[in-house]
Amino acid sequence: MTREARIGVTLGGLLLLLGVAGPIIAPDPLAPMSGPLLHPSLANWFGTDQFSRDVFARVAHGARISLGVALIAVAISTLIGTAAGLIAGASTRSGSAIASRCIDLGLALPRVVVLLVLLAAVGTLPLPLFAVVLGLTGWPGIARLVRGETLRLRHAPFVTAAEALGANTGRVLWREIFPGTLGPVLVAATLGVADAMLLEAGLSYLGLGVRPPHPSWGGMILEAREYLGAAPWLLLAPGVALGLATCAATLLGDALRRSLQPDAK
Amino acid sequence: MTPLLEVDRLRISFPRPGDAPLVPVDDVSFALAPGELLALVGESGCGKTLTGLSLPRLLPAGAEIGADSSIRFNGQEITGLSERELRAIRGRRIALVFQDPMTSLNPVMRVGRQIIEAITAHQRVTRSAARERAIALLTEVGIADPATRVDEYPHQLSGGMRQRVMIAMALAGEPDLLVADEPTTALDVTVQAQILELLDRLRASRGMAVLLITHDLGIVAGRADRVLVMYAGRIAESAPTATLFRQPAHPYTRGLFASIPRLDATNARLPTIAGSVPRPDRWPTGCRFHPRCPVAIPHCSVERPPLAEVAPMQRAECWVAQGEHA
Repeated sequence: MTREARIGVTLGGLLLLLGVAGPIIAPDPLAPMSGPLLHPSLANWFGTDQFSRDVFARVAHGARISLGVALIAVAISTLIGTAAGLIAGASTRSGSAIASRCIDLGLALPRVVVLLVLLAAVGTLPLPLFAVVLGLTGWPGIARLVRGETLRLRHAPFVTAAEALGANTGRVLWREIFPGTLGPVLVAATLGVADAMLLEAGLSYLGLGVRPPHPSWGGMILEAREYLGAAPWLLLAPGVALGLATCAATLLGDALRRSLQPDAK
Repeated sequence: MTPLLEVDRLRISFPRPGDAPLVPVDDVSFALAPGELLALVGESGCGKTLTGLSLPRLLPAGAEIGADSSIRFNGQEITGLSERELRAIRGRRIALVFQDPMTSLNPVMRVGRQIIEAITAHQRVTRSAARERAIALLTEVGIADPATRVDEYPHQLSGGMRQRVMIAMALAGEPDLLVADEPTTALDVTVQAQILELLDRLRASRGMAVLLITHDLGIVAGRADRVLVMYAGRIAESAPTATLFRQPAHPYTRGLFASIPRLDATNARLPTIAGSVPRPDRWPTGCRFHPRCPVAIPHCSVERPPLAEVAPMQRAECWVAQGEHA
């Protein structure tokens, strides 16, 4: 394992620990402490916010929400995107055309606008459903990537070699082409995690995602904006958490890509 | 002995909209006996690779096989088979080994896994049995420490070892015919000899026929039973290897031999064949070699000579070799 991979694993592990164990040791994220906008102290590690709530508790609870929503969303969009991309890149002429037009349509619709319209129409969704909706709008980018990789690998010499030894289309697609697309897909997916967290933050701010008083990192950052001068820890705590999470996701993705592409330097 | 493979009047064309089709392989006929090593020799663009690819019908998109062409393998006509029927033949009866072992192996798959893929494409076997067979195949193609190598990735192997892995994959389906398209071109000279040695040994131990496609007459000597010399989409000459080396009949074949550097040569300049291979859309009338031929007679530019016997077992597509004079 490289040093970057070890850092990624450590960071990711710490954040997961924060999400799992943090809420147990931290106070209730909704209960008021001794006062509003308190400096970080031994009693309140990351200080308190404008409603006297413990910021550490909110960051820890927010880890569950932000990471959970982002991971579910990315898992869904990666699955759909990979399937659509493989079909578009490798299936018969008509199947490929249908899948390709679906991808083009998906790419033509701006994700934020689709989400705004959708969420405005149906109102607030339960958190898991919100994550699913986020995932359902995120797949076209991945699909375009996979389609391109598939088209590139479709006529690679090793694919021809496999066909020359009697491999059928399904075998070629699944055994020869799919593993080759994993590297770029994982990189895109890790970036997608960061993207999903930021998108969730933006939607939460507009009251369409995670509703206050429930804490999400994005929501906390946007709320902290008003107290930037008086209480910078309000911004720093969730901001650093978001940054570290993005960092961990990217490093882990890179490490995965290396292990899947054994000849990568 | 009945031939394993009979190719009759093979014509491969690429239709072009608004233009006459390109015909890179035109009227090629040959037969291959079980266990025979036949060499198909020619320059780049002469159609030798397309001829090899047409046997398991793996031609590139857009290529068409002529309506009266026939490829009979074990008595079965290949040209009319469906994709599904062809898959049962590819790898199982006719296997291909390609030129470049660097790109013909999947870079993200362990070599053992790739051999197992080739095994399970045709047979239902358990995971452990397939792995054992993969190791046995690696042993058969002469890879040292196969139990370790089986779990390595292609980039961890040398070029020669990768070509051995390619051959092991081709052997996985226990084919009756191995088509090796320039199998040694990408390799060092010393490794080339080892790979050819291996092909020759496998042919003997398995009774497998080999069609060796190459541009290098040198690697043919002493290994091939017969040689087909291709020029501009046609077979210029066909002869047993010893005969061809002793008395080449076609002026093109003689030109090829003359342009091989010799250690005892005193002349400083290496003889070459004047001109270059014409493009498939600019093929001359009559004999396709006549514009470059040193012994051409007027008849050559008018009528195409047949591929006729000029000596016992030796056939050449040349009026002069067949006894005509100017």
